[in-house]
Amino acid sequence: MIIDVHTHPIFHKAISEDKGVLDYRKQQFGIYKQSPAPIESVLQEMDYMGVSRSILLPIDLTTQSGGWIVSNEEVRTITELAPDRFIGFASVDPYRSDAVEVLDRAFRVLDLKGLKLHPSKQKFYPNDDIMKPIYKKCLEYDKPIMFHAGMSWEPDAPAKYSHPLHFEDVAIAYPELRMCLAHFGWPWIQETVMLLLKYPNVFTDTSILHMDNALDFYKQVFKTNMGPLWIERNLNDKVMFGTNSPRFKAKRLLPALEAMEFRPKTLQKILGGNAEVFLGERRNERPWLN
Amino acid sequence: MVKLKTIVLRSTAEFQMIKITEEIRSFIEECGVQNGIAAVISAHTTTGIMVNEGLECVETDIEELLERLVPKDMPYAHAHFLPSYGATGSNSPSHLKSMLSGNSCMFVVQNGKMISGDAQDVYLSEFDGPKSRKVHIQVIGE
Repeated sequence: MIIDVHTHPIFHKAISEDKGVLDYRKQQFGIYKQSPAPIESVLQEMDYMGVSRSILLPIDLTTQSGGWIVSNEEVRTITELAPDRFIGFASVDPYRSDAVEVLDRAFRVLDLKGLKLHPSKQKFYPNDDIMKPIYKKCLEYDKPIMFHAGMSWEPDAPAKYSHPLHFEDVAIAYPELRMCLAHFGWPWIQETVMLLLKYPNVFTDTSILHMDNALDFYKQVFKTNMGPLWIERNLNDKVMFGTNSPRFKAKRLLPALEAMEFRPKTLQKILGGNAEVFLGERRNERPWLN
Repeated sequence: MVKLKTIVLRSTAEFQMIKITEEIRSFIEECGVQNGIAAVISAHTTTGIMVNEGLECVETDIEELLERLVPKDMPYAHAHFLPSYGATGSNSPSHLKSMLSGNSCMFVVQNGKMISGDAQDVYLSEFDGPKSRKVHIQVIGE
């Protein structure tokens, strides 16, 4: 069972009929030369790589640029096409006056399973007081947060907002709030590792392919920047498989991950088991991590 | 007279040889051109258009030759972030296989029919699937 915890459904045909909306998404996300694909193609690509489920992430940019890189409603539209294959997340712009209402509706009415926030693109610091009602709403519904962390390839998305250390106050203040600091917080790998090591509620994902090919880059990050056994020994409950599709693809990342020579049990946790814990579908077998 | 048809195919594996001979033959016979040339052209840079004998053993030998000539793990230069895509390019083997196979072929059209040898089949060869692919068939003549 493989769960891809990090996909942006920008090019799903079911939500791409309006060219203006699609162009806005492409410009804001910084993704080009790809075209909308029907649900059959998306599922075929997942099947080919053995991915059983994918988390779909929207981004609300209402106060930043007046739109969404996929809206909560569009995520719901896609999940309804294949409810056993897609896990829809919500997003909310923290600066909109109705932020809490939007999020409540996303969880209660749209039945979305978590929250996506992008501090760099949405231009907020994770430990800002403005975020408190949003975190409390997630706790009320027991929903996890997928935070962008580290460098973003999206235009107009300064990395300073997404430095991993800004998440530490949140991890301390809300120990029951499960959060993923995506992309290993690259380039701040050591800081991300510190948070993963110390805080049971902090996770990360493997959606990094910023340089090299996937095999070379994973070797650099997982075996050189990090001690070669750190994931195996210390972080095997904290790392989740994620691609950041359509920017990076499972076709490249999965074979590279499988070449890292993790124990089969560790690889299985990374590919899906840790995602189930993050999503709240099951508790960790190690109670001190719950 | 110039007649064009674009066919769309969805490959289902990273490497795949998809026969398109009958699609080409049918279009030539229905397009109205009696005598001329038919060009078959892929719209992509990680596919090939090949003409060869349509046998599974030949397909296997072609695949294995391309794998030997273009290994997956080499220090390829095309392995970095591409701002014009917003994605990281790391599919150099697919591009190099495409270069080796070429992206087009041509056939003579005579008396409204495609002229081909008994052993000849036309393939769209996929080197970076699964993907949706386009092939243009243009018939030029009178």
